[in-house]
Amino acid sequence: MWLLLPWALVYGAFFVFPFLFSFVLGFLNYNPLNVSHTTFVGLGNITRLVGDADFHGALRNTLFFVIGTVPVTTTLALALAWLLHAPLPIKDVLKAAMFLPSILSVVVIALLFKLFYAPGGALNEALRAAGLPTHGWLTDPSTALPAIMAMDVWAAVGYYALVLYAAFTSIPESLYEAASLEGAGHWATFRHVTFPMLKPAIGFVLVINTIRSFQVFVEVLLMTQGGPLGSTNTLVTMLYDTAFRRLDYGYASVIAYAVFILSGLFSVLALRRMRSQTPVQTRGVPA
Amino acid sequence: MRRRSPWFVLVMAGLYVITASCGKKSTTEGTTIHFWQFWDMAVVTPIIAEFEKQNPGVHVEVEQLTWATGLEKIQAALASGTQPDVCELGSTWLPRFSYEGVLEDLTPVYQAERDSFLMWDSAFYKDHVYGLPWVQGSRVLFINRELFKKAGLDPDHPPDTWNDLLDASKKISALGNGVYGFGQNIGEKYVLFKKFMPFAWGNGGDVFDANWNVTVNSQPVLDALEFYLKLAPYSLQEKQEVLDQYFKTGKLGMQISGAWNVKNYKIEAPKLDYGCALVPRPAVDHGEHVGFAGAEMLVVFKGSAQRDAAVKLARFLQAYPQARAVSIAAGSVFPASREAMSDTTFTNDPHIKVFVEQSLTSRTPPAHPGWIEMEDVMDHAVEEAMYGRRAPRWCLDDAAKDITTIAAKFNQK
Repeated sequence: MWLLLPWALVYGAFFVFPFLFSFVLGFLNYNPLNVSHTTFVGLGNITRLVGDADFHGALRNTLFFVIGTVPVTTTLALALAWLLHAPLPIKDVLKAAMFLPSILSVVVIALLFKLFYAPGGALNEALRAAGLPTHGWLTDPSTALPAIMAMDVWAAVGYYALVLYAAFTSIPESLYEAASLEGAGHWATFRHVTFPMLKPAIGFVLVINTIRSFQVFVEVLLMTQGGPLGSTNTLVTMLYDTAFRRLDYGYASVIAYAVFILSGLFSVLALRRMRSQTPVQTRGVPA
Repeated sequence: MRRRSPWFVLVMAGLYVITASCGKKSTTEGTTIHFWQFWDMAVVTPIIAEFEKQNPGVHVEVEQLTWATGLEKIQAALASGTQPDVCELGSTWLPRFSYEGVLEDLTPVYQAERDSFLMWDSAFYKDHVYGLPWVQGSRVLFINRELFKKAGLDPDHPPDTWNDLLDASKKISALGNGVYGFGQNIGEKYVLFKKFMPFAWGNGGDVFDANWNVTVNSQPVLDALEFYLKLAPYSLQEKQEVLDQYFKTGKLGMQISGAWNVKNYKIEAPKLDYGCALVPRPAVDHGEHVGFAGAEMLVVFKGSAQRDAAVKLARFLQAYPQARAVSIAAGSVFPASREAMSDTTFTNDPHIKVFVEQSLTSRTPPAHPGWIEMEDVMDHAVEEAMYGRRAPRWCLDDAAKDITTIAAKFNQK
């Protein structure tokens, strides 16, 4: 019991207290430069959120980011995990290569991709070499967010592929043998054995990636700062700007809770979807 | 007596340890001043040692802030009442701090030294002065002399007027082979205003008039924006780091940028043949060469227990020898003191000389407490016009409305 005390103190100080404090802040007009002038605004910050065009834009961008990256990352991770599960001679090298982006700092990755997307960067040079027109990937409002999303998928897919690969390896071989005896083909085996058995792991990947994607911040801050024309302004970049530049901590807290509620909702939806079917255990496998 | 539970005692002991270790340290005798700043400690430490030597019994605790998180730290300190006595603040932020009433009034110091320093504008709030100009960084026009020669232009006579700038941009752009005439920032925050407003200021326009009426949609600003857009077909529109890279590699004829490039080119592109010039004025018989400048100001927080010693430290740091030492070490800023105008360390360098000259007519952002929000509005208006989303007139009209709304918010408080 006593051994839990340091953890409890740290958890209380750095999680519970800020969580509750920011809830209270949501009902206040709180400015850190002048705490004595704090006023109670009731639901003012929440009603403001509903009618705020900047918030609507940031919400739209964030949802586009989540919906555009989470399914793609999960599908690619599943495909890579499937690939790793196959008997390959360079499996260890592949695993190390896939995991490499996970050990790189987001800052490093963002800077690398900034160079990659630059006018004289690798992507435009490749287009030029192929005789295609080059493009300002991060300065065009229509491509800036997709460019960051592509980077996010690249950076995240390896980690999730390894998570799914670990789940692959835990599927009992007897299930595959049974499927084989029943005459199931590759697709039927995947659909009725592999996929149901992977559902808990896929659920984990979906939830973690959804929460992470709702909180996308550093990549945007380093690559576009929310621009051009607000096309990459996400909820957390707006939150940061509202709190630390505009010093409107009350409104920023309401945005923070909006992110919390939305990511929670999406996570629950994803989990429910994945739990809608129970994994096969020792049932017969349809052909 | 009610017995305290072991939990309570432990929590209180833990809190004591945390608060004791986080709190301000003070010496047992004499005065301790806490000073937060952004420069390399190797530069600041000898300056502070000299101050302590001149002021026996006064000890200065210096803390270096980072440009990325310094402001957040200052905010947190103010919220918790642990702010330093003396602090460095940028000219963009100073008006908000002045408005919030957290700074000591330094008007008497201003009255004593007003003529010796530049860049006072951002320190004013309601006829009082809340900061002392320390160092400043103006932006000037960089020209690639080699591209000028190739385009048949005289690099010894860089563009003086808007027409000269447009003509040079066209000619350099016509060289082809991936060479651009001029560099325009796009797709990044906090920069567009700094690059566009010198044209508006030079043309007699501004965001506000002397009575704080919004004038951002006035004819001089509109004319400046329309001219700025004329440069677009001959310009590389990119982020600052890309523009710097293109200029460094000889693919960009001209750009408006800061002195950090002079420092970087010495190391990264020693063979680059470039020159610096004042930001072009609208015409020979109209307007002036106005640049944007960011100034670093020294402030004393209200409630400082060592107010007099803190003001003394701020004035010591602001004095020319100290500001000069910081400037030379940084390589990207110059002393706000007028003494820099006659210091051969700066004036003998053909590039640096231009920065020093430009600082005489450079301007800091408007000293309005709502400027941080207004800057976003300005950036958006210029960017919308540059992307061709709407006509410049509409962009500026909307900006005027938004800035008026923000200004009203601050007037109400």
